[in-house]
Amino acid sequence: MRRRGELIVGVLTSAGAVVFVTAAIAIVKRWVPVLSLVLYIFAVLPVAVLWGLALATAVSIASMLAFNWFFLPPTHTFQLRDGANWAVLAVYLVTAVVVSALAARARRRAELAELREREAAARAAAELEAESYRRSDTLKTALLHAVSHDLRSPLTAILAAASGLGNPDVRLARADRDDLVATIRAEAERLNRIVGNLLDLSRLESGVAAPHPELWTADDLVLRALDELGPRGERIVAELDADAPPVQTDAAQIERALVNLLDNALKFSPPDSPVRVRVESRDHELLLHVHDAGPGVPMADRETVFEPFRRGDGSVRGAGLGLAIARGFAEVNGARVWAENGGGGHFVLALPA
Amino acid sequence: MTRILVVDDEPQILRALQTSLRGAGYDVETATTGEQALMLAAVRPPDAVILDLVLPDRRGTEVARELRAWSKAPIIVLSVVGDESEKVAALDVGADDYVTKPFGVDELLARLRAALRRAEPSAEPVLDIGELRIDFEAREVTRAGERVQLTPHEYGLLTLLARNEGKLLTHKAILREVWGEAYADESHYLHVYVSQLRRKLEPDPARPRTILTEPGVGYRLVDPLRDS
Repeated sequence: MRRRGELIVGVLTSAGAVVFVTAAIAIVKRWVPVLSLVLYIFAVLPVAVLWGLALATAVSIASMLAFNWFFLPPTHTFQLRDGANWAVLAVYLVTAVVVSALAARARRRAELAELREREAAARAAAELEAESYRRSDTLKTALLHAVSHDLRSPLTAILAAASGLGNPDVRLARADRDDLVATIRAEAERLNRIVGNLLDLSRLESGVAAPHPELWTADDLVLRALDELGPRGERIVAELDADAPPVQTDAAQIERALVNLLDNALKFSPPDSPVRVRVESRDHELLLHVHDAGPGVPMADRETVFEPFRRGDGSVRGAGLGLAIARGFAEVNGARVWAENGGGGHFVLALPA
Repeated sequence: MTRILVVDDEPQILRALQTSLRGAGYDVETATTGEQALMLAAVRPPDAVILDLVLPDRRGTEVARELRAWSKAPIIVLSVVGDESEKVAALDVGADDYVTKPFGVDELLARLRAALRRAEPSAEPVLDIGELRIDFEAREVTRAGERVQLTPHEYGLLTLLARNEGKLLTHKAILREVWGEAYADESHYLHVYVSQLRRKLEPDPARPRTILTEPGVGYRLVDPLRDS
């Protein structure tokens, strides 16, 4: 339908163009007689560009006939008194058609080039989109895997302990009952921490974790973290520094970062070894060191351990969210976190003083 | 006392299982790595092994394979949803059964009892399973006293399942045993034979109660009149 509509517009415009140029020639002819026939090119060219060769040829023929009819003696007939005029008309016609063909071809080429360019752009855009989907798919799969493992482990312990308590075939001494109840409680708390970590991570990733900086001392920051850890942090030894300068930071977020570093140290070190947190002030920075007696981070993994869902190659597994969260909260506060190597696990949280 | 070796790297799971299994009257040993498990099993051979498929030092499947090389103790693997192929691999190398995490102690105890019961092999010439009676010497199968005609392959399939009553047999294990190594991957073969067998043996073949399907894993034959 569209093509037919276009054709009608084309025919009407062509006819109009011929009529218009004929009228123009009638006026101009008096002053520049030689130019007159050539003026029809102004009708032919736009038609060739807009509607193609076929219509342009028709316009060429129509304009030639119109010129003959209106301007060549005897006028108002298609006969010619001067035989040389036949040659002029023929040359005009050939010129008009050749020019039309060239114009139409140039137009087609331009269109084709534009089309290719657009296709290429569309392909590139589609490729980019697909890549981002693939990436987010990989991430989602990793997330699901990590989350399902991390949620299922405490759930398994809870379910095993609870069903052991409730099973009539299982006869338990008082101490054993207490033990199972303690397991249920500890594992429920662990589940709660995992859920908290997932929430922290999603807040960091979606950028809603805006810090509220206030002036805090190093002592305050360390004590808040130890307080948050509670009995879990019994084997942590704190080495405070009374002369350390205060820092302008969001204490709640730095607490999350430090708690995660300490949790990581507790998780990857022998259960009876101490974990040390040490305060050090250095030019314009307050450093919080966390040392443990675990295997430490191999050189090659010093950066990757901070990616979410990575886990260290130890006997304790976890979704590996802790270090990613520590770094995330540190960075929104303009602080840095990195792993040092040598002599067990050693992480540093550096706050601008 | 029956000795159970529990292998899992999560100390909390290990503790809950140890306490519950002890309360159920078993002697329990625990290991947190594959190496430790193999060493303990060699020093003091357990009567059954509960084995997590994901261990820090090696795959649970490898541990099951090594154990099976010199021990007949039933192995129950602990798997998780989404690890189907690992579970099937473990069963293929000789694990006896599985439970999916998280699980209740009731389920684990039921599986353990069934596995321990099977561990005492019966060489009886006649086997009664519910309404079914299999006479191995006469190669005759009767259902509620009526003789059932079986093709050689159907008979082979039924006797394999019946001699391992309650045990989960993987598609591969069944095909290898009944049809031969060359057919180990032709599980559609097996599905056809199982449905034929059910039509001849089950009162309602659409709701089988004797030959049970473990989707994606294999089949197990149970006595519908005994506990599950």
